[in-house]
Amino acid sequence: MTCRTSLIRFRALSRGPIRVLSLKQKRLVFMPKQNGQSDISPQTDLDAFEEKLAAATARRQAKVKKDDGDDNSLLGMAWRLSTELLVSVMVGMLLGWGIDKLFGIAPIGLLIGLGFGIATGFVTVFRTANAMDAKTAHIPKGEALPELDDED
Amino acid sequence: MASGPMEQFQIDRQVDLFEIAGQTVSWTNSAFWMVASVLAIIAFFVLTMRGKLIPGRMQSLGELSYEFIADMVRDTVGPEAMRFMPFVFALFFFILFANLIGMNPYAFTTTSHLAVTAAMAIFTILIVMVAGIWKNGFKWFKIFAPAGLPLPMYAIIIPIEIISFLSRPVTLAVRLFANMVAGHVMLKLFAIFAAYLIAKGGVTALGAILPIAGTIAIVALEFLVAALQAFVFAILTCVYLNDVYHVEH
Repeated sequence: MTCRTSLIRFRALSRGPIRVLSLKQKRLVFMPKQNGQSDISPQTDLDAFEEKLAAATARRQAKVKKDDGDDNSLLGMAWRLSTELLVSVMVGMLLGWGIDKLFGIAPIGLLIGLGFGIATGFVTVFRTANAMDAKTAHIPKGEALPELDDED
Repeated sequence: MASGPMEQFQIDRQVDLFEIAGQTVSWTNSAFWMVASVLAIIAFFVLTMRGKLIPGRMQSLGELSYEFIADMVRDTVGPEAMRFMPFVFALFFFILFANLIGMNPYAFTTTSHLAVTAAMAIFTILIVMVAGIWKNGFKWFKIFAPAGLPLPMYAIIIPIEIISFLSRPVTLAVRLFANMVAGHVMLKLFAIFAAYLIAKGGVTALGAILPIAGTIAIVALEFLVAALQAFVFAILTCVYLNDVYHVEH
């Protein structure tokens, strides 16, 4: 049961705001002849489904309070920032080391690479942090993901 | 007591297949579980392909997953990038299924090996490079040199941009790999601790309740991480695909 309602909820969420239509309106929506169906019985499958959907959503909305986007992915953010910082430094050093090997200028390339690596690390971290601030690295808040780890 | 925390990452050669340049290519347990996750994905989508107007539960799942990735690609890159959607889709579901299958006892977590994650990350970044050059010609290299800076700044900016571009596949690979390894090691450590306490018997066995509770909590966390890391990999792929289409910025 919970499985079904949550599925319905997420379908609804992924479609944007739900139009809760009254029966009369629904007739207006589904009656038109452009479908090639001239005589639709007042309760088609789609109508029934739409009704069930609205009911289920209403029930669900009452039960679940809006989680106002306090994302529990703080750990994820920390991971992301720290790996970016570390990896930038390492890649910079690696490039410098490669240049050393290539031209035989023992520690100079490594040092320059280290410097650039650290600079890059900071630039990337600032950039990422900015992106996270500006809501927030494109990660949608708790809508798209929870289908995977919903309580059931 | 049986195994250490790192033994679960051991690769067993099961069959040696052939040699390439002196390297033996073998069928390993890792290969087995990779194939298993691909088969699981295929089975999942065969089961969820129904095509009814009013979707049942299974079809909902299939449609949801399609829409989820399609929206992600559209929102982060734009509708012009929809041709990469199958790629992102495949990446996401492979990682997701490999992670989730790895959560089962006795299963092997293929994504806990840097070789696997690095292969995916390098492939991703190569796609970005090739598609970028394909689409923009050599103007693509402008992403390393943002316009409108005083000339001496370029001496600093260009190396920084190059390093930051090159560190992307590394971060992609390392993040996924490190997350999976850390989680599984933690899980194993708690479990081993509990096993030791129980083996001790007597009052100490009662103390095993704590690590067992910890293990359960970590299992829950690991399921979250499994999904989250697949998501992060996919979304970062999308972010990087931006560089194919938006060179001027």
